[in-house]
Amino acid sequence: MHRFILKRLLLLIPVLLGVSLLVFAIMSFTPGDPAQLILGENAPAEAVAELREEMGLNDPFVLRYAHFVGNAVTGDLGQSYTSGRDVFDEIFSRFPNTLILAALGVLIAVVIGIPIGIISATRQYSMIDSGSMIFALLGVSMPNFWLGLMMILLFAVNLGWVPSGGYSSWSSLIMPAITLGTGSAAIITRMTRSSMLEVIRQDYIRTARAKGVAENVVINRHALKNALIPVITVIGLQFGMLLGGAVLTETVFSWPGVGRMMVDAIRQKDTPTVLGAVVFLATTFSLVNLFVDLLYGFVDPRIKSQYA
Amino acid sequence: MAVGMAVVLSACGGAEEAVKVKDTLVVGQGADAKTLDPHATNDQPSSRVAVQIYSQLVETDKDMNIVPGLAESWKSLDDKTTQFVLRKGVKFHNGEELKASDVKFTLEAMIASPTVAHIVSAIDSVDIVDEYTVNVITKEPFGPLLYHLTHTAASILNEKAVKAAGDAYGQQPVGTGPYQFVDWAVGDRITLKAFDDYYGGKQAIPNVVFRNIPEGTNRAIALETGEIDIGYDLEPIDKDTVRNKENLALVEEESFSVAYLGFNTQKAPFDNVKVRQAISYAINADDIVEAVLMGAGAPSSSPIGPKVFGYNPEIDRYQQNFDKARELLAEAGLPDGFKTTIWTNDNPTRVQIAQVLQAQLRQIGIDMSIEVVEWGAFLDGTSRGNHDMFILGWVTVTGDADYGLYALFNSATHGGAGNRSFYSNAEVDQLLNQARTSIDAAERKELYGKVQVILQNEVPTFSIYDQYQNIGIQKNVLGFSMAPAGHHKLRGVSFAG
Repeated sequence: MHRFILKRLLLLIPVLLGVSLLVFAIMSFTPGDPAQLILGENAPAEAVAELREEMGLNDPFVLRYAHFVGNAVTGDLGQSYTSGRDVFDEIFSRFPNTLILAALGVLIAVVIGIPIGIISATRQYSMIDSGSMIFALLGVSMPNFWLGLMMILLFAVNLGWVPSGGYSSWSSLIMPAITLGTGSAAIITRMTRSSMLEVIRQDYIRTARAKGVAENVVINRHALKNALIPVITVIGLQFGMLLGGAVLTETVFSWPGVGRMMVDAIRQKDTPTVLGAVVFLATTFSLVNLFVDLLYGFVDPRIKSQYA
Repeated sequence: MAVGMAVVLSACGGAEEAVKVKDTLVVGQGADAKTLDPHATNDQPSSRVAVQIYSQLVETDKDMNIVPGLAESWKSLDDKTTQFVLRKGVKFHNGEELKASDVKFTLEAMIASPTVAHIVSAIDSVDIVDEYTVNVITKEPFGPLLYHLTHTAASILNEKAVKAAGDAYGQQPVGTGPYQFVDWAVGDRITLKAFDDYYGGKQAIPNVVFRNIPEGTNRAIALETGEIDIGYDLEPIDKDTVRNKENLALVEEESFSVAYLGFNTQKAPFDNVKVRQAISYAINADDIVEAVLMGAGAPSSSPIGPKVFGYNPEIDRYQQNFDKARELLAEAGLPDGFKTTIWTNDNPTRVQIAQVLQAQLRQIGIDMSIEVVEWGAFLDGTSRGNHDMFILGWVTVTGDADYGLYALFNSATHGGAGNRSFYSNAEVDQLLNQARTSIDAAERKELYGKVQVILQNEVPTFSIYDQYQNIGIQKNVLGFSMAPAGHHKLRGVSFAG
């Protein structure tokens, strides 16, 4: 078990190197001079040249990348070109906002998605099943930002129940979390339903029913546990994606999260911030995946035995 | 009925909100500040917050006259030396008293900062006369000095606070302004509170919050819901919504910003003044203002806006006249027009302007192709003179004509220093130098008036429009006035009732 975790953590290294190299290369080879960016349009040419030298921008690409990696392993992701703040601090000051939003989004998705998925599967082709599949289709195909805007219009502008954006109190969380949760809920519903349908057709379920076990016990104890394995994967992936990819939702709701920070940084060619955010999100995503893999072991002992 | 209920509910929500926010003025703008160290940045979102925290030696009033700030008086000792007498008893937010040493420290730090040094590059040295008196000595006689010192970058800092904070100063600013820094939730909001010992008296509103709301539409929505009291820079599409709400007002005024079409005057055929004039007669700036800006500007006749000191209001602008344009082209030996290119960066407004210009110039046979160039490459290419025509804007941030005209049209500033049209005219050079070194305001105004007449005739750049700026505001907010440079001071603002 420990060896498995260690192996997976070691695998993170090539992943992070690859991701950072790619981003570093893209940021380096796109036009625009970081030194000019920092000093502004009116800075004298000599000052810009001096800063370029100081920042090591005149060094060969490989050297600059090695320099970045060298600093990064000691936890120094550099300073933002635009604000001058420590990238590491900046990410961690915003990460709680992203985390709470993603966690709540996934929670909403799970609370809605799994029960509906189970009900749909156990009552296949019923009205409830069709209804929830229509909901799921809508949820998957509706763009996040559109749903967000519509909710703002209804609940903030017309009804005045919740703030339209920003992060001032817990009520600010409601709309962005629902916006994020809807898409994931739909995916989880569909996954639970199809996985459940597969499981309840298996022999051991028929055996359980034949033994006279109550239907709710059959579903909740015998079927659900096995049906949940692929669902957990999906939940994990969704959580990872929400952590990194909530850019549109964060923008629509003026949410001060990591995703939006990254997009702003890309727009301003703030390389250290982009790199820091990407490396951070890649790490988070990988760790979430690792956690999901470990979770399998608890749901399905057969998988646990493979870890050794 | 549902609609009726919604209206009732929203009215209740609005009223509730208003009671809650009475002691806090919430301002929404499109980006977070970068740093609140005025020497480390020159961007609008940062200046808009910093201007509440700091004060300058001198300020401008609504008509762009220089009025006392931290300096209660000033006089010219000779043509290079200006003596400032500071107010006594002015307190910084850390309790320190303002002294001449802070002024010296500030201006010297500014000169050493590549980001803002250009604003005070005329200053040679700063001498302390006594605790409350300081002499600012310029390298050459420099007429616009006072206007330069009104710039937010010339905010007076506290030497002790800056040195104590080191690199973190931008996140813990200390000024002498009406509001002091409290807290910064990065990416979301900056909170300020009224400074009890402000030399201009304590403010009526105890707290000010600057919120970062990147989407224009969201700022309009936040105004509607009452979450913010003032929203900066509303989108054209939201202006009517705000205008039509009973409790909201839209304020739209000229800024210091002018958008222009530049010609590379050292490259054929633009080295011929008749070609430049022909193009000027082919353009209809009203169309551009209507179609591209949705009315958020006014066709211009000068490279500096009407609010800038030295603006000449008596110049006529070019009226579209294709016959005249073709005639001028024929006189220039190009009766059938020619092929050329225009550069713009990827700013959507500028790209659309280029498209309108393309259509208008086609009428006189000029086949202009549009090249959208990345900003860095744009600045680099135009500073080298690789371009034919280009679209750019200029903000005369100091509010003095020198800042707008000297950099753009002096033959000493070709290229990256500002004169990207590579215009050279000995008479203009002479007038600009004379106006810069004169310390007589009336004389300077006259000289700039003459320069603008020559420029309008020779059109090294065609001034397309004066850009308006707008804000949306709750009607219960009183005493707000716009600063043409864009960093509006919230000093003196109060709530009705």
